[in-house]
Amino acid sequence: MTQVINVKVNGVSRKLEIKDNELLLDVIRDKAGVKSVKAGCWRGECGLCTVLLDEKPVKSCLVLAVEAHGREVKTAEGLAPEGQLAPIQKFFVEKGAMQCGFCTPSFVLTAHYLLSVNPNPTESEIREYLSGHICRCGTYKQMIEAILECAKQQNQSSEAAAKTKR
Amino acid sequence: MSFGSSYLTLPDFRYIRPKTMQEALQLLDEHKDEAKILAGGIGLLAFMKERLVDPRWVVDIKALSELQTLRDDGPKGLTIGATVNMNQLLDFPPLKEKYRALRDCIAVLSDPVLRNRSTIIGDICEALPFVDGPTPLLIFDAEIETASVKGNRRIPINEFIKGIAETALEPNELAVAVHLKAPPENSKSLFLKHMSSSEFSIVNVAALCANPSRPESRTVRLAYGAISPTPKRVYEIEELFKRKTPVQKLIDEAVEVVKKSADPMTDVLAKAEYRSHMLEVLTVKAFRRLLGS
Repeated sequence: MTQVINVKVNGVSRKLEIKDNELLLDVIRDKAGVKSVKAGCWRGECGLCTVLLDEKPVKSCLVLAVEAHGREVKTAEGLAPEGQLAPIQKFFVEKGAMQCGFCTPSFVLTAHYLLSVNPNPTESEIREYLSGHICRCGTYKQMIEAILECAKQQNQSSEAAAKTKR
Repeated sequence: MSFGSSYLTLPDFRYIRPKTMQEALQLLDEHKDEAKILAGGIGLLAFMKERLVDPRWVVDIKALSELQTLRDDGPKGLTIGATVNMNQLLDFPPLKEKYRALRDCIAVLSDPVLRNRSTIIGDICEALPFVDGPTPLLIFDAEIETASVKGNRRIPINEFIKGIAETALEPNELAVAVHLKAPPENSKSLFLKHMSSSEFSIVNVAALCANPSRPESRTVRLAYGAISPTPKRVYEIEELFKRKTPVQKLIDEAVEVVKKSADPMTDVLAKAEYRSHMLEVLTVKAFRRLLGS
């Protein structure tokens, strides 16, 4: 059956015509036209299709598009409105935390979420948190450095901000 | 879960998101086997892609607020609703100490992103041997509460899982919650697993112990899973540990009992002999950690 869902994609409200059996992954790529969300394994193992659904990471190959009705989907594009990179994206660039770049948007999203719930993660917490993502180029080391550095800088600037308030 | 299928699409079905429990139960009663329940969808959607499951109706139960129950009633135990996801459980303080074995199990289940969707009830209802959820529930005497148009009933976890992908759930029933009994005061529990490279369990063990140094009030429980079609609690060891014999001797004896009680299977993940050996390794480790020997 065909129906229309209202879904906010990267801050823009969209009306998308979908079928009940369509995956969120396909609808975001083909109907909303957001191509940073990648299809890898289609079975929840590689993590490339990760999106933030109401700010929480989910693997969109295991979510029905109809489940996103009335909700908000955010992708790597949504972290950088008008081309202004989010802090985590800047540090991925700075640390060269990618080779081919295919998996990068998904890692960036999960890392962004991790720092929002745990602003000061340890290396092992980062490793654990990224365990549902696969990077075949193997740039995990650089990604972990980027996340640690981003956390450090953000904590320093928030401390500095707290000091000026006092 | 997949064994090498190339299906990328889902078969046709109608999606329904009931707003009340009554509506959901009536739908199930009307469509029975032709309807499947969607909570986290991790198992369901993967099975549907492989055409192992091909329902006409997919009933999304996430709008039913009563299924979001997550409540610790102290001595009366713990209730986990059907749509409570794994990350909610990891963040729930009573799991950090009192129901530790369940937390240890969830902390190594799949990955943090999938845990935003996956549910413990989904794990149980899949009833696949290499799925870990049921094993720790056995040592907390868990019961699955089901609902249907005819009313609710509670099924002990060891009667609920009947075989591979087979449960006691009737086609018109919805598993609404799992109830754990409170463990004895001051008890400690743990969960250990040995897994394949694809993270499916080859053997898992959950164990609990209270008063390790006082034989008369000592409580020891152990359950294992993944080695045969259904998980199992080894009740025979529970009396054994009340004896005044030195702990190391009791452990040796209990390990033999545990090993004998198992009927390990051979499948794509491991041979029966290997499972039996790893069951012994994990059992020894569990007893040593809990009984401090």
